[in-house]
Amino acid sequence: MSWPSLDRRKAALVAKRDLRDAVSELRLIIAMVALTVAIPIGSAIGIRGLAYFGGGTAVVNRLSLVGAFFVVFIPASFSLVLALESFVGERERTTLEVLVSTPLRESEIYAGKVAAVLAIALTLCYGGLLVYCLAVFTGLGYFPLDVLIALAVSTICQVAAMVAGAVIISLNARTMRAANVMASFIILPMSVVLQVEAALILLGRTEFLWAFAGFMIVLAAVLLRMGLAGFSREALLAREVGLSHPLKRAWGAIRSGFAHRPGLLRLVWLRRIPLTIAAAGLPIGAVAGYLAAVTNAVPSSAVKPTLSALLNAAGSGSSSDQAIAIFGHNALAFLIVPLIAVLTAGLSGFLLTFFPGFLIGYVAAGSSWAIALGGVVPNGLVEIPATIIAGGLAIQIGASAIHMEAAGGWTARVLGAAADYVRALRWLIPALAVAAILEVKLG
Amino acid sequence: MLEVYGLGKRYGDVLALRDLTVRVGEGACLVLLGRNGAGKTTALRCMAGVLAPSNGTVRVDGIDAATDPTGVRARVGLMPELPGLYERMSARAYLDYFGAIYELEPALRKKRIDGLLELFELVDAGDRWLGTFSKGMRQKVALIRATLHRPRLVLADEPTSALDPDSARRAWAYLKGLQDEGSALVICTHSMEEAESLAGQGTGQIGIMSTGRALAVGDVAELRRKSGLPTRKEVRDLPTLQDIYLAIVGNHHELAESRSA
Repeated sequence: MSWPSLDRRKAALVAKRDLRDAVSELRLIIAMVALTVAIPIGSAIGIRGLAYFGGGTAVVNRLSLVGAFFVVFIPASFSLVLALESFVGERERTTLEVLVSTPLRESEIYAGKVAAVLAIALTLCYGGLLVYCLAVFTGLGYFPLDVLIALAVSTICQVAAMVAGAVIISLNARTMRAANVMASFIILPMSVVLQVEAALILLGRTEFLWAFAGFMIVLAAVLLRMGLAGFSREALLAREVGLSHPLKRAWGAIRSGFAHRPGLLRLVWLRRIPLTIAAAGLPIGAVAGYLAAVTNAVPSSAVKPTLSALLNAAGSGSSSDQAIAIFGHNALAFLIVPLIAVLTAGLSGFLLTFFPGFLIGYVAAGSSWAIALGGVVPNGLVEIPATIIAGGLAIQIGASAIHMEAAGGWTARVLGAAADYVRALRWLIPALAVAAILEVKLG
Repeated sequence: MLEVYGLGKRYGDVLALRDLTVRVGEGACLVLLGRNGAGKTTALRCMAGVLAPSNGTVRVDGIDAATDPTGVRARVGLMPELPGLYERMSARAYLDYFGAIYELEPALRKKRIDGLLELFELVDAGDRWLGTFSKGMRQKVALIRATLHRPRLVLADEPTSALDPDSARRAWAYLKGLQDEGSALVICTHSMEEAESLAGQGTGQIGIMSTGRALAVGDVAELRRKSGLPTRKEVRDLPTLQDIYLAIVGNHHELAESRSA
């Protein structure tokens, strides 16, 4: 993942102008500052009131952390509005066309605009957090610095992710109206992410919160890179968006996505890198599972229900019923994985091989490798290669989803990768059927 | 100064520009005429190093737009059809911002901005937000912005369409001044009078464009010959550029229609 060079002085010029533009609207400033100050104070009054009226130390402490999350979230959400205005608004008003006709590089315009939005949103976030901390934690006898730092780090990344998402939207929307509708694609996934963060805060496990912050850093880096790669003069001025006959165009895109795709053997060769990654998931999972069991990092009470569910999935009916149940279970996994791959950057493809490997390793730690591996023979001889191919092709879908080019072609690349997966299912689904029969008859 | 050879630009399935070849020397002028959608704006964007050509080459001052588009953009001043001004910025601050982008020294920037605001009678409005400006005032600011750095090549899309006659005369005089200093001009316009005036200065050419291609390029006399219009003895006046334009575009459309039939 390379980042293009840029002249920081020129990026700073763009950032300074955008900052000045954003703060030139007095009513907007008053609204933003009022929310940033009023919400922390309101939350603080509630929490201090709870503490005063004997709300219980544990409850007050947890609630004070959730309050901090809430205080930071509101100003962070402004970043999406500011970013959409900065990119799509400028595009709509044709000021971006003027800016791209100057000697500024795309990276300088992009960095300047992102920096301006980040500066405003983070000033409001941290300003609100500071007010909140002063109002809540002074005299409370509780100050969870580590949690607050993890929250601050993940907030930067949330804001960066939303800004990068807004840039990607700007490449596909000519008007603010269209951009606002498309913003749902950022708001909905982000609301899920924030719910996870809130749950982790309530859980009170700082290490999980740091893991979440780490995840957000990766997500923000991927989205920022995507935004930068896609932000180009060609995309802004030459790409056609929002044309008439959208359904006809969509159908045409799907048809061309499926046209002239390689056969299975050639596809396996062409996609050897993602397939190798998927294949590596199996031994990596096995080692991880073994270590998890040996060190008791993952207690058996967490793994046993999964294993039992898998073993009972076949049911206790006739052998054909069992084969159908096993086949249905595996086929469902093969159908769900590529759909999730688009949202998880192909991680679901890796997990398709990692999870079985993890369970094998976990079982091996409790018995022996011979027993664990014996459990997947002979059906595994068919099932494992099929899983590796499906996993690799799903990784390719995810990689296509996070890869943007200045010349465009994102849809064609994702559709092409999806078409490869769908075409491969012609071979993989029968392979799963054979594996299910082998498992019931010989397993 | 500007060398364009076999320039083509494709937007998806649409071929917006094809096989354009023109050469504009130092201090010379090319006027592009054509209907809406003829490919003039696309041609300007490619010449400015803003869009990458799908075919052909563009060279400005010897620099290839494909290999060094940033270098080309530094030498070009592009004035698009829409001014694209920041509403919540004063004219002075706006011009200063673009002067800084073009790396003009602050003192030089101020001197030029003051001089040009005075030339275009915008001194009193210089500290007002651009959002309060009239259409004509906006066009003047856009023209100043595009030429503030004294570009080697000025590309302007209908630069005087919103100006009153006096301001338009002032703007043309200013562009003529830049031309005299050695800048090359490429102007898109729908005004035949303006085109004839610009191209009739000895160093001027006119390019007539239709459906993405240049139907004819040359000075007025050459175009008159190419149009095939009669210059009968009993007709006192020579055909105007308007007549020539309509004849060339009309012939092209008749030809296209007969081909499609």
